[in-house]
Amino acid sequence: MTSRKLALIWKHKALYLIALPGIAYFIIFKYIPIMGSVIAFQDYNIFQGITGSAWVGLEQFERMFQYPEFLRILKNTLLINLYDIVFGFSAPIILALMLNEVRKMLAKRIIQTIVYMPHFLSWVIISGIFIGILSPSTGMVNHFLNLFGIDSIYFLGEDSFIRTIIVGSGMWRETGWSTIIYLAALAGINPQLYEAADIDGANRWQQTWKITIPTLMPTIMMLFLLQIGNFLDFGFERVDVFLNPFNRVNGEIFDTYIYEAGLLQNQYSYTTAIGIFKSVVGLILLVGANFVSRKTTGNSLY
Amino acid sequence: MKKRTVLLGVMLVILIAVMAGCKDSESKASNEQGGSEGEGSGFSIAMRTLATPYVESHPDINEDKYVKELEKLTGTDINIRLVPHNEYVERMTLMLASNDIPDVMQAGGGVLGPELAGGVEAGAFMPLDDLLKKHGQHLLEAIPQEAWDRVTYDGKIYAIPEYLSNPSRRGTAIRMDLLEKTGLDVPKTTDEFLEVMRAFKELGVKNPYQGREDFKYSDTFFGAFDAFPYQWELYNDEVVPKFMAGDKIKDALEYYRTMYEEGLIHPEFLTIQQPEYRSNIIAGNTGMWSMNAEEVNAWEQEIQNNVPEAEVAIIPSPVGPDGKGGHYLYGQVTRSFLISSETEANVEDIIKFFDWQVTEEAERFFTYGIEGDTYTLNDDGSVNYEMKDDTNFLNEQHYRNRWLWMIRDATYTEGILELTEEGQQLMSVFDEILSNEGRDSILYDPPLEAMESNPDIRPGSDTPSDVWMTGAAKIILGQEPLDYHDTIVEEWLNKGGSQAIEEATKRYNEDDGVLSR
Repeated sequence: MTSRKLALIWKHKALYLIALPGIAYFIIFKYIPIMGSVIAFQDYNIFQGITGSAWVGLEQFERMFQYPEFLRILKNTLLINLYDIVFGFSAPIILALMLNEVRKMLAKRIIQTIVYMPHFLSWVIISGIFIGILSPSTGMVNHFLNLFGIDSIYFLGEDSFIRTIIVGSGMWRETGWSTIIYLAALAGINPQLYEAADIDGANRWQQTWKITIPTLMPTIMMLFLLQIGNFLDFGFERVDVFLNPFNRVNGEIFDTYIYEAGLLQNQYSYTTAIGIFKSVVGLILLVGANFVSRKTTGNSLY
Repeated sequence: MKKRTVLLGVMLVILIAVMAGCKDSESKASNEQGGSEGEGSGFSIAMRTLATPYVESHPDINEDKYVKELEKLTGTDINIRLVPHNEYVERMTLMLASNDIPDVMQAGGGVLGPELAGGVEAGAFMPLDDLLKKHGQHLLEAIPQEAWDRVTYDGKIYAIPEYLSNPSRRGTAIRMDLLEKTGLDVPKTTDEFLEVMRAFKELGVKNPYQGREDFKYSDTFFGAFDAFPYQWELYNDEVVPKFMAGDKIKDALEYYRTMYEEGLIHPEFLTIQQPEYRSNIIAGNTGMWSMNAEEVNAWEQEIQNNVPEAEVAIIPSPVGPDGKGGHYLYGQVTRSFLISSETEANVEDIIKFFDWQVTEEAERFFTYGIEGDTYTLNDDGSVNYEMKDDTNFLNEQHYRNRWLWMIRDATYTEGILELTEEGQQLMSVFDEILSNEGRDSILYDPPLEAMESNPDIRPGSDTPSDVWMTGAAKIILGQEPLDYHDTIVEEWLNKGGSQAIEEATKRYNEDDGVLSR
């Protein structure tokens, strides 16, 4: 290291000092645990530890690809994540645009508060609410269907609705909360642009299309890329609370399978292999999306 | 000025937090010292909460008056580490994996279950034979041999078991007051039960039979047909799941389908969870259900809070074509206690602690509590213990009888039941009804290897495998015909069931780890 570099660091010592806790956090809680992934190449036994367990090479990965249900779980994981990105990502943008058009400040505030309240509920409570309103005997939704002469549907007792329910409940919880960033971005748009457009005779629809969306675009792209970074990392709890043996066929994702097979059946090496596979796929997607984004819109994460 | 006050406030909070943290670690350190000095009294013990209300709502179980009294009586200083009921396996394996192993660990019905993650095979726990011979004479005497067999691995005893002398614990409960209204006799056969359920429906009972998710506490009628889908039996020289032993499973499924079609079973029984199952019964919306018989009196009282005229009785379970019936039979062991092989506590004292639990003094303490507090002694030495109806009292008693009392015959608590007329009736229910019914299975310990890697085809102790359940649900809900069951069997076989049958048969013939009565 040259003395110039050191001098540079010394010059910005305050910044480095501020960054230190963050760096420490990533090293301790993200990088060091990655080393534990070596157990994917072992037949890990908790009593022998990482140093004592036998090495088995790629056996765990082979077993994973041979597992007859592997493709089904992969398909579920991809589909649920895809739905979540398509619907779950676009909903807050639309909601933010709609809220932006609300003229009465009081109404806007009230709506905003109501829509982001579910964010603070835990998944257990949310699943309780959804199971309640979807119940065939006492649920609101089925009462409504019955009014139109449609028979009650056992939504959680069969496999055709589970993906919708999982993605829908996530949207109900997070849409309001996610609008906050967009609303902040919207507040930052120079009002003169709208005034100028007004004078030029643009209606509200044209203003939204020509001014609001283009100015929001960098924010949208950035959030989209961050979202892609979490692709396949759907989260265990929000799926597990809705799963039962009757909808598992279409609802089971990697996270829930890892929990079932790994934590409950002590197959740590096998499920770590699955976790690694999942991470690698996620990484490829992130790099790919980032590349496409940089080429097409000029925005990228790095 | 204002800013400074806020800052001061924040600093104060941090300071307090830090101090609290220090204090905590100090007390921990001194505790550990107490253990390692070899005074012989202190040890830690990990116990599953078992959804016991008193335990789960207690701010600190180690400060509980009964725990304190237990320590006084046994001359120990125990430190209970609660393991949440629903995260039992994860928490237990986490303790083992991080080498944060308490001196004593409570496992389930054996010593080879997933909660111990192969700890016994790996030598993480201590064989107890010699210690028991020296310090556990009472235990060896009180606990039946079958129970010891369940906690024996490779010829050595690895745990002290809480045992069950009567493995038939679940009974068929019925609202006698409603039955009287229908004018029908106590039903015996499956057809008679169907008749009673229909009559209940006419009376306006919402759920003639309750039911609950995963067929748990919903399988009374599978028992009648001897077709519990999670049990195994010898059929044509092969050990197969009962759903493959002839056509009896189809009769059972047809029965359930009829119940579903006619609205005799809760329409959502496939997904209904325990709290709702219970509250439906307590609210008086249910005519008949399956439950742990020991709790029937407590439940009856709760139902009477809502429906004063309610009367609940355990009746003999429906009998099927073979004239028998009943629910599934539990294993001989309900809980077992293992001692870590790396413990620094005084092992003799731990054994003595458990040995004391089968003495008369222990029985009186766990049954009635603390003298002068929860009971008094009469002049002739008999116990004066007043039963109360309120929930808090019952929860406390339940906790003492069934949770804190670690080593006992878990069938029922005689000292409590003999006090009341209802209790005496319940004892006769156990001795005369339940002990004569129940369906047995061939079980393997350690479990079948073919099952381990495939969670889809593996049944639980009282729940069917996912593959079977998903298919059976379609038949019961009327989406598929009865013959669809053949497709389920095929799928089950293809997913590894064939290997499981092969392994089960081979081990059965070689008598390799086979558990059966």
